[in-house]
Amino acid sequence: MNSTKALISAALFATVSFTAGCDTQPVKANACIPPQGHDLDVAVSQSKSDLSDVCSFQFNAYLERLMTIAESDPKPANKEKFSEFLLWSNQAGLLSKQQAKSIYNRYFNVKYVSLMGDYNNCSLTCPKQQEVLANMERELLDKERGLVKISRDTGSYQRADRLLKETELVLEATCTACGAN
Amino acid sequence: MSTPSKFNLSDSTGLQPFSALVFAWMLLFALPTQAANTPTLKLFPTTVLEDIRHTGSVAKEMESGLQEVISRLDQQQQLIIDSKCEEADDDPGCAQLNKQLGATYLEMLNIMESNLPTMEQAVETTRKSLAKRLRKELGNGMTPWTLQENLLGGQSGKQASQTRPNLRGRSGMRLSDRFSQYYNLVSNSSSSQGSSMAVIASDIYLDMEETSDLIARTRQEISRATLMGQLNQSFGTITPEMQEVVSGVKGILFGDPESEMPLAAPPTTADSTTYQSPLSL
Repeated sequence: MNSTKALISAALFATVSFTAGCDTQPVKANACIPPQGHDLDVAVSQSKSDLSDVCSFQFNAYLERLMTIAESDPKPANKEKFSEFLLWSNQAGLLSKQQAKSIYNRYFNVKYVSLMGDYNNCSLTCPKQQEVLANMERELLDKERGLVKISRDTGSYQRADRLLKETELVLEATCTACGAN
Repeated sequence: MSTPSKFNLSDSTGLQPFSALVFAWMLLFALPTQAANTPTLKLFPTTVLEDIRHTGSVAKEMESGLQEVISRLDQQQQLIIDSKCEEADDDPGCAQLNKQLGATYLEMLNIMESNLPTMEQAVETTRKSLAKRLRKELGNGMTPWTLQENLLGGQSGKQASQTRPNLRGRSGMRLSDRFSQYYNLVSNSSSSQGSSMAVIASDIYLDMEETSDLIARTRQEISRATLMGQLNQSFGTITPEMQEVVSGVKGILFGDPESEMPLAAPPTTADSTTYQSPLSL
């Protein structure tokens, strides 16, 4: 009799435990759908959870959504949140260090990643001067988004804007001088 | 007879190499870190500075010679427009006005002709010396990345906007005043403001290019007028070529407010945040 009661109790306990276990499992139905809402911290947290699972192929869509969410509440601290998120992406193997740097600096730094290279300006930049400047202009639009619309850092944006104008002037003069041997 | 010691420490001459070594050692440590990180630009050696100053004085002489005649040219042209002479070719009064205009234009060309060789030489010398420095320092001596680092120069946005000159001398300023400003900027700046120097050097160099082009076109115009040999007839009215030369001379010498280049407004907010990402380049 006692053993029957014990068996029933064990069965009941197992059933309850099993049911409770089901309730705590994360729901995967909305997997790979970028986060909604206006809270960047929550969105970053959900993005990390999704991206570290099976959604890594959707990295760009998640990043884009995070930027949109950040735009709805622009503040200087957002810059740090994106830096931290990109560093995490690198550590999680979603991005190379170079890719993480490139994205961060394209949006949140005054300097232009489209003005890089290991050779001198006469031989590297001058032959494709117009292309370089066009790329810098496109990058300035991204900087406007990252620095102004997301981080509310108009000072840095205006420095970037001025840097573009100065580069245009200096390259025009330098490249003319390079060709005036 | 005493033999002088080879290593006499009280001998001042013996101390010189040692002192020099100590001094050099001290200098090494005294150098600011900024100087170690940012290459110093040598865009304006004394010779280039002197070229700029000389070009400024030549431009001033030319301006004073041309100011009166260009002002007269403007008045005569306005009179022709006000009198509606463009539609009245047969009117003797209009013919007289046109003739006067042609004569004034010739007068301007003659003044230019007498001043041009000196101006041309000054401009050419400055242009060539600046081209050499730009090619060496910015063209062959820097990568695109070091160029933009140099332009940023480690200054904060607020500082930068205060110390940097406006771009391109197209702000309605006289050529001589512009050179005077350039000269002052260059001669009063320290080497730590390398970024500004690169912009100023480029600015002056491109100004020199434009001025050279204008001088070449003006000389062509003078040659054309002389060759035709019938100046009074051919300058009955202001031709588009003549108009272009007059506008060019006015634009370069006296400035042209209409072609002002829009610049970015200075930062209106506080300096950028102090946050520095580990990803920052």
